[in-house]
Amino acid sequence: MIKPLLAFFLPALLATAAPAAAGYDLYVSAAVNKGYVIGSKIVTMNGLFRQTGQGEWQHLGHNDTSIRSVAIDPRDRRVIYLAANNGCWRSLDGGATWRITTDWTLTEPLQVTLDPGAPDHVYLAVPDGIVVSHDRGQTWHRRETGLPDRGKYTQTIQVDRTQVGRVLAGCESGIYLTDDGAMTWRRVLATDTTVDDLQQSPHDPQTWLAVTQSNGAWSSHDGGRSWQQLAGVPSRKPLYCVVFDPTHPQRVAIGGWAEGVLTSEDGGKTWVTRNAGLPDRHRVKRLAVEPGSGRLYASVTGEGLFGSEDFGRTWKHDGFESSDITSFVFLPAPAK
Amino acid sequence: MKLFPCFSLAVALATPAAMQAQPSFTAAPPPATVVQDAGLRREQYFNRIDEAINWRNSRVKLADPATLDMAAIASKLVRHEDIDACSARVIELMKDPGTGPFWMFPVVCVAYTGRDLLSPEARAAIRHAWRTTMQIRGDTENHWAMYYTSLYLMAELYPDEPAETWYTGKSSAENLAESRAYLISWMDLMTTVGQGEFNPTGYITEYAIPMLFLASWAKDPAMRQRGHMTLDWLFADLAENTLHGVLRGPNARTTDIPVMERWNDHASFYSWLLFGNTPPTASYGGFGLYFAVAARNYEVPEVIYRIAMDREGDYVQRDLKRSRRRWRFSDVVFSPVYKTSYMRRDYAVGSYQGGAADPIQTHVWDVTWAVPDPRGVHNAMFSNHPYSSPDQLQGWFPTYPELMIPNLSAEGKPSYDEPDKILGASPYEQVFQDLDTVVALYDIPPGIRYPQINGFFSKDLADFSVDKSGWIFARGGRAYLAYRPLAPYTLTPYRGYLQLPSNEGYKWERVPTGDTLLQSPHLKNGTIVQAASEDEFKDFAAFKAAIIALPLTFSLEPNPTVKLKTLRGRDVVVTYGQAPVVDGQPLDYTKWKLFEGPYLNAEKGSRKLTITHGRLERVLDFNTLSITDSVLP
Repeated sequence: MIKPLLAFFLPALLATAAPAAAGYDLYVSAAVNKGYVIGSKIVTMNGLFRQTGQGEWQHLGHNDTSIRSVAIDPRDRRVIYLAANNGCWRSLDGGATWRITTDWTLTEPLQVTLDPGAPDHVYLAVPDGIVVSHDRGQTWHRRETGLPDRGKYTQTIQVDRTQVGRVLAGCESGIYLTDDGAMTWRRVLATDTTVDDLQQSPHDPQTWLAVTQSNGAWSSHDGGRSWQQLAGVPSRKPLYCVVFDPTHPQRVAIGGWAEGVLTSEDGGKTWVTRNAGLPDRHRVKRLAVEPGSGRLYASVTGEGLFGSEDFGRTWKHDGFESSDITSFVFLPAPAK
Repeated sequence: MKLFPCFSLAVALATPAAMQAQPSFTAAPPPATVVQDAGLRREQYFNRIDEAINWRNSRVKLADPATLDMAAIASKLVRHEDIDACSARVIELMKDPGTGPFWMFPVVCVAYTGRDLLSPEARAAIRHAWRTTMQIRGDTENHWAMYYTSLYLMAELYPDEPAETWYTGKSSAENLAESRAYLISWMDLMTTVGQGEFNPTGYITEYAIPMLFLASWAKDPAMRQRGHMTLDWLFADLAENTLHGVLRGPNARTTDIPVMERWNDHASFYSWLLFGNTPPTASYGGFGLYFAVAARNYEVPEVIYRIAMDREGDYVQRDLKRSRRRWRFSDVVFSPVYKTSYMRRDYAVGSYQGGAADPIQTHVWDVTWAVPDPRGVHNAMFSNHPYSSPDQLQGWFPTYPELMIPNLSAEGKPSYDEPDKILGASPYEQVFQDLDTVVALYDIPPGIRYPQINGFFSKDLADFSVDKSGWIFARGGRAYLAYRPLAPYTLTPYRGYLQLPSNEGYKWERVPTGDTLLQSPHLKNGTIVQAASEDEFKDFAAFKAAIIALPLTFSLEPNPTVKLKTLRGRDVVVTYGQAPVVDGQPLDYTKWKLFEGPYLNAEKGSRKLTITHGRLERVLDFNTLSITDSVLP
């Protein structure tokens, strides 16, 4: 179900989009959320988009306002997973056809992620725990031993790229770690508010960063076993996302509701607010760094996509007007 | 309420001409007499169905396709009228399908009413839309009831079709199995630990319609029976909780208008249609048309009809319900709700024990009174803590809490973050009820947004006065009312919410309603309300004297505590954070049954409801999927 851009709407929405750097394709999930509620008519194009060529966006799949997360099989980019209101969607043919792989017992997943070392293994963060598939979403199994019976709302889940089955999950009660493919979990950081994002450094796999709803930002330098709070990052403000710059080992950025964008260029020791060029209401929902160029992307809630060529010192609007970008995925461009 | 189609329909139809075409909406209220003859009762029911369908059909101008929407098409199809026009319009509408449960069930209605009438091309267009257009499932129980019933019925209508022919990517059999499993699970929950969106003023329609469709059209006799039994269950609950056709509080979910004008929501349409004992709401409840189209497939049993109509004797009904699902920051998924209704001919008192059943739209308690004509009357008295909290919202919704409050107004919930709101529950409110006495205590921690108590005093109260004893007295209809605030307060005009025409989400204007709002800015606080019928006293002065003479002591520190003898002679001690004590005995809510009262009875976990009126009895047994009617000795 690959659809051409809507003739009358999308060009205006996306016209200013800058192309991804040569060597990478960018996939995003986007919701144009002006006044949409369940029951209203969707008058905009939402869902999964792929940027190709010179900044053009191609819509893939259903017009779905609820997609929160995208994962794509690194071995085969035709295999796409989406976490959305209805559950986990999967396409095996690059977005031409889709299937909801979950049933009514799993709803409103918040993140879907693959094990890079075993991409058939799919992890799903759901509001009432964690589910795992070992067969590309054909079947799902709850894997929650070690999680509290209550307190396992899972916002984010990330796999350690260096070890199959080693996974960190950000829950309402802290960060949980498994070394055995989610068969057993143990808490490695206790929080009293939800862990909103977790990321592994592309430069040092032992280094992880986490941000929380109102417990500040945290770092780990032993693969997630222990965590230290980052000084210089507000501890009581909602922090939604954190990102490493793959092109620069000392650069990291955090995005949040009140703070907008915070960046550090010394590995998290000091932090600077970088909102020049962002809307006044710089409620940053997602950040991403383009692996080839180091271009920093920010999704500002209800305002669209913004890009920065200088790691946040200046920002320019980059399309998706009035939208929320909820997920970024960069894939190496296929060889010509 | 997320009802854009209903909203636009209501706006479109809210014209003087449209109102004139709705006879029961504009006519005098129906008489409250019991129709003894079953044949006549049925005839009158069918007449009401016809009235709604006639009205909808009269709105159609074939030259103007916009007037032929899905409700109109269904109304035409059920009459076998203008079939070619209906087919053509279906084809047109299916070129631009909507998404979600509010689109799905109207299409199911048209697909079934038109399955032998619509052209093959029209039916193919419907089928095509269910292949190509993603339907969002939603996030509430009413969404899921509509979504899975719709998917179930469409999968039955098109059996044995492969996965690639459905938007879900699942085969007919898979869609059918999943939908069936959910619906049974939901019914299990309702019949064992209680209904979630209980006593809803508006959302009743989102349950009644899918259950009627299931009862009407499911091929599987077991699912058809389940639909029928669930309808009986819902309507028995409606009958028990109405006074002269008007639903009384508390409500898991309601909205800013019906919380004060108790008649003005979809529940009244169902009372009108099923029982004929109150006027229908405008446009026959909007979505109510879809119920009317299939309503001849269901007839409310006599025992339920008589429960709805009989208000000669007072009764107390205690029910066990449950909250909406909590995702995080709660020890339980569903919290139990212990609900009490005390119904008398002239007034009703209802409450549950406090806390949030829903984070936004709950109405916890009230005293409401009967009036000859409920239209436009604000027949309610209550207090609440106007709690607003992103932290609370995140417990119920899997989203960032900061995103929620700014969007609520556009989603049809304009009052959530307003300090003068009269809708919503608070975790810092605890409510006790014994017959027609309510004690609501508040213990609000410092730092909570909107540290105040609001009390609602209707424009329709008579003889409103503030006595030097501290009691506020008023008359509502034939009810004498006494309201005792436990902390200092001010009285100001209340401003309600006027919905404005809009094509971009809900828009509102705050307007004076003529009502009065009590505001008390004290963290430790409370309200006592007592009610009586004017028949019980020589005059209003005698009622006042009786109330003032009742022993009452209270203190607010360290925790609000009230000790009183009620008008009914009960010695009551209510302390915030403790079990209430009545005549020396602490209340044990854990012993409450699913239903307990003169009309509805069910044990917790039983899946079995006994409905009784006089010698009539109907037993709904979900264990055996049986309905058993008896005439008791």
